[in-house]
Amino acid sequence: MLRVSLFLFCVFVAIGLQAAEVAESLVRIEATSQAPNYKAPWSPGEVSGGVGAGFIVEGDRILTNAHVVSNVRFLTVNKEGDPKPYAAKVLYIAHDCDLALLSVDKAEFFNGTTALELGDIPAIESLVSVYGYPIGGKRLSVTRGIVSRIDFQTYSHSGMDSHLTIQIDAAINPGNSGGPVMQKGKVVGVAFQGYSGDVAQNVGYMIPTPVVKRFFKDVEDGRYDRYMDLALTFDNLFNPAARKALGLPADDVGVQVGTVYGGGPSDGIIKVGDVLLGIDGLRIASDGTIKLDGESVPYTEVVERKFKGELATLDILRDGSSQQVKIPLSDPWPFALQSNAYDEKPQFVVFGGLVFQPVDKNFMDDYNPGNLRLDYLFDFFVEDGIYRDRPQLVVLSNILADGVNAYAKDFLFAVVDEINGQKIHRISDVAAAFAKPSDYYVIQMLGIGRPLVLERKAVEEARSRILQRYGVTSEHYLKK
Amino acid sequence: MIRQFVFLLLLTPLLALAEPKSTINHPYAVAESTPQSLEMTESLDQESRKVAESSILRVNSTNQAYDFFQPWLKKNPVSRRGVGILVPGGCVLVTAELVMNSNFVELEKATTAEKSSATVERVDYDCNLAVLRPNDPKFLEGMKPLSLEKSLRVGDEATVLQLEPNGEIAQTIGEITSISVGSYPLENLGLLIYKLRVPLQQRDGSFTLPAVSDGRLVGLVMRFDARSQSADIISTPVIRRFLDSPALARFPRMGISFSGLRDPQFRRFIGLTEPGGVYVNEASPHGSAAEAGIIKGDVLLAVNGRPIDQDGNYEDPDFGRVLFTHLTNTVAKLGSEVTFTLFRNGKAMKLRVKMQAPDRSRVVSEPQLADQPPNYVVLGGFVFLELSRPYLQEWGNDWVNDAPKRLVYYDAFQNELPEERGKIVILSQVFPVPETLGYESIQNLVVTQVNGKPVRSLVDLSEAAQKPLKGFHKIEFEEDPKTIFLDAASVEVNKKAFIEQYSLPALQRLKGNKSP
Repeated sequence: MLRVSLFLFCVFVAIGLQAAEVAESLVRIEATSQAPNYKAPWSPGEVSGGVGAGFIVEGDRILTNAHVVSNVRFLTVNKEGDPKPYAAKVLYIAHDCDLALLSVDKAEFFNGTTALELGDIPAIESLVSVYGYPIGGKRLSVTRGIVSRIDFQTYSHSGMDSHLTIQIDAAINPGNSGGPVMQKGKVVGVAFQGYSGDVAQNVGYMIPTPVVKRFFKDVEDGRYDRYMDLALTFDNLFNPAARKALGLPADDVGVQVGTVYGGGPSDGIIKVGDVLLGIDGLRIASDGTIKLDGESVPYTEVVERKFKGELATLDILRDGSSQQVKIPLSDPWPFALQSNAYDEKPQFVVFGGLVFQPVDKNFMDDYNPGNLRLDYLFDFFVEDGIYRDRPQLVVLSNILADGVNAYAKDFLFAVVDEINGQKIHRISDVAAAFAKPSDYYVIQMLGIGRPLVLERKAVEEARSRILQRYGVTSEHYLKK
Repeated sequence: MIRQFVFLLLLTPLLALAEPKSTINHPYAVAESTPQSLEMTESLDQESRKVAESSILRVNSTNQAYDFFQPWLKKNPVSRRGVGILVPGGCVLVTAELVMNSNFVELEKATTAEKSSATVERVDYDCNLAVLRPNDPKFLEGMKPLSLEKSLRVGDEATVLQLEPNGEIAQTIGEITSISVGSYPLENLGLLIYKLRVPLQQRDGSFTLPAVSDGRLVGLVMRFDARSQSADIISTPVIRRFLDSPALARFPRMGISFSGLRDPQFRRFIGLTEPGGVYVNEASPHGSAAEAGIIKGDVLLAVNGRPIDQDGNYEDPDFGRVLFTHLTNTVAKLGSEVTFTLFRNGKAMKLRVKMQAPDRSRVVSEPQLADQPPNYVVLGGFVFLELSRPYLQEWGNDWVNDAPKRLVYYDAFQNELPEERGKIVILSQVFPVPETLGYESIQNLVVTQVNGKPVRSLVDLSEAAQKPLKGFHKIEFEEDPKTIFLDAASVEVNKKAFIEQYSLPALQRLKGNKSP
């Protein structure tokens, strides 16, 4: 998979700066971050440092990539040519579009700097310049290239979201992350990801200004609400028989709705099998694209540019008759389970040396459990509506070996269904069930006939011994 | 945890060789083991040599499996060679794997290289055994059948017989390291296996190898792990059951999954004071155990009066401690009764279980489809099949990770599907024709309905395809695209052209159904 080999342009670099036009706006960001360890969820995680680029935008703020400042504990910024580091803070961070805005504690930092202005989508084949501090030297580097392609791409920071992306052939390398891509004195993008040389040559990506502008607008109310999604899938309608059967003319308009995800904004409004003909007055072609600003883009771009609570107007054909529906937009939560998460502490419960955790992408990456049933529940969490019954999949993730849990191994990575007859929908239910006094704690797992049973006496007797021996500093963390 | 029934399905990639070129095939083993085996051949077991000369034959089989991606085609033929052994009744015993999907089988005398073609008289993939009969009735004259060794203990010796290209017999002596119930490769049925530590060398034709002791047959080698120098041997009780029962299904099954009961906390929780016993996790509906009234949560304490320990073993007079399923799956005949002492709701009780073979018609995804062409239906360029393990195995040895996830899960958790679900019919792939325009990239989708009729088998699909709706075939799937359409008239008109274009012998095959 190509997506896997995308790398982010964040790297350790020591730099010295050279004066340039853009230099008045360029910022070097040094971040100390601490990513949690899902295998020891009570531990605060390993501390690491990184360096990335950013630039000053209006309102005395610094724009950079979210991945430069994810899981950050301490942040300093340096102006071009000024050796003094200033402490900075993350104002807003948007993991779904890999952007972040920073503020600097001391206002004097912005003396003598210029805020860069945002431009529009550059034309294909037009020249752009990339600024940043990539590997290969210590000073500011500028590379030039042309706009190669304008398309939707997966943003590898979250791994789940795709937005409009511009591909350029200027050399971008680790260290370019968060740096501005300029054309005619204006910012046309933020360099953020690319392919390593083993996979492809001269393929770098930048976040285009519609995505940046949307981010700015979203945070105007003081919080970031994420991208909106209709939460449905569609299928192309090229086939002449299908068009005839659905009563559609041979005009290459319309796509058919495949799945409508429960709990999403379209649930109850759009039905499986509906044909989507248009969105906000724009015609949807039979491959799902619309014409927007002269470019052919997926119709979802219309939704991408909207905000929480706004409406999307869809022209649909249902059972042969056309109608118009309005969908109040929201961001469907079940998908979050399958994307990389940042700035979150892992939730967990430790009981009798058994560690229980809710499953998400971070969990699966750290543990790589290789349990077929868990794989199914995770992979089809959204598609098969598993989230309806279980907003969280809680598993026995680890066993801190002790006499009390000597026979629990068969249950590792099984999903907890019930504890003492109480259905487990989320991790907090596990904590609540164990908090109720009972002689036996009967833990029933999904797909295993026999329950796992712990005696209260044995658990209590082992409690402090296990915590001490394994350095468990806390028995649960439940906040989300 | 011992999961006899449901869960062993997942072990297949490890145990059954999806593309077995040879079960004993490790070139590196040759160099490592040479000095040792030379030494062993010195101490020739004279009795075994006599046996070998008068009772063993080389068996050559040319096998050709079907290609499940193009089910009307066969794959390239493979030849396998093995060593068969003459057993009472004038027939030659080999592993079923040796003659699986065979087109042509040949027997060859070791020293004279005299040959006769042979017929596979009986084959049983449960126990991985087959018997061959030479087409020349006089071919076996002068040879002596071997009788079966009755009992064996860990630590006993056995000699594995191989044939050199010149017909010389190579003998390698090994030691039995364990006797236990383990999974047989093709149907994952748990039956008795002897493990023999033996430094076998790679030799021509080692697909089946007999192991003998004191002039009697101990078993047939069905797997060999060159690294641990350990051979899995089909045991004599299994061979005896196979030879003695001419019926098609010979091995009854309990139809339960169970766990050992070592955990004292759990024992106290269920109030079990008696020693030993295993806990029934699941009794599959219509299985022998369920029919007799065994339910989830029962503790099996004894079988035919022999106590079952906390790991599920009983003391066998011939083989020592082995899993109790040896008594139910091999020693018990089909239709006979086995008495269990069980513990339920704090009380011990006795129950008689009539041992039955599983009802094949209830199998959702067949674990193997040897010796029969797969069924398929082609409709306007779409190829439909029923989900089966051999279909998934077309993705190679790592099919669990490489094959389409949803199909892997259906295969793995098939016992949890509602009974009325029937077979899983899938649209395997598309051979593009004008009617499939826009659908070229769809593949491996689970079919739910065709022309408004629910599809629970290929036959359902074939029948539903006779009645298009308003001139269209409407095909519905579980996943996207949820619905597709084909122009029924156009499909009909272009049928012949399609057959010629892609060289298909026929648009469907529905005959090869396994009889229930």
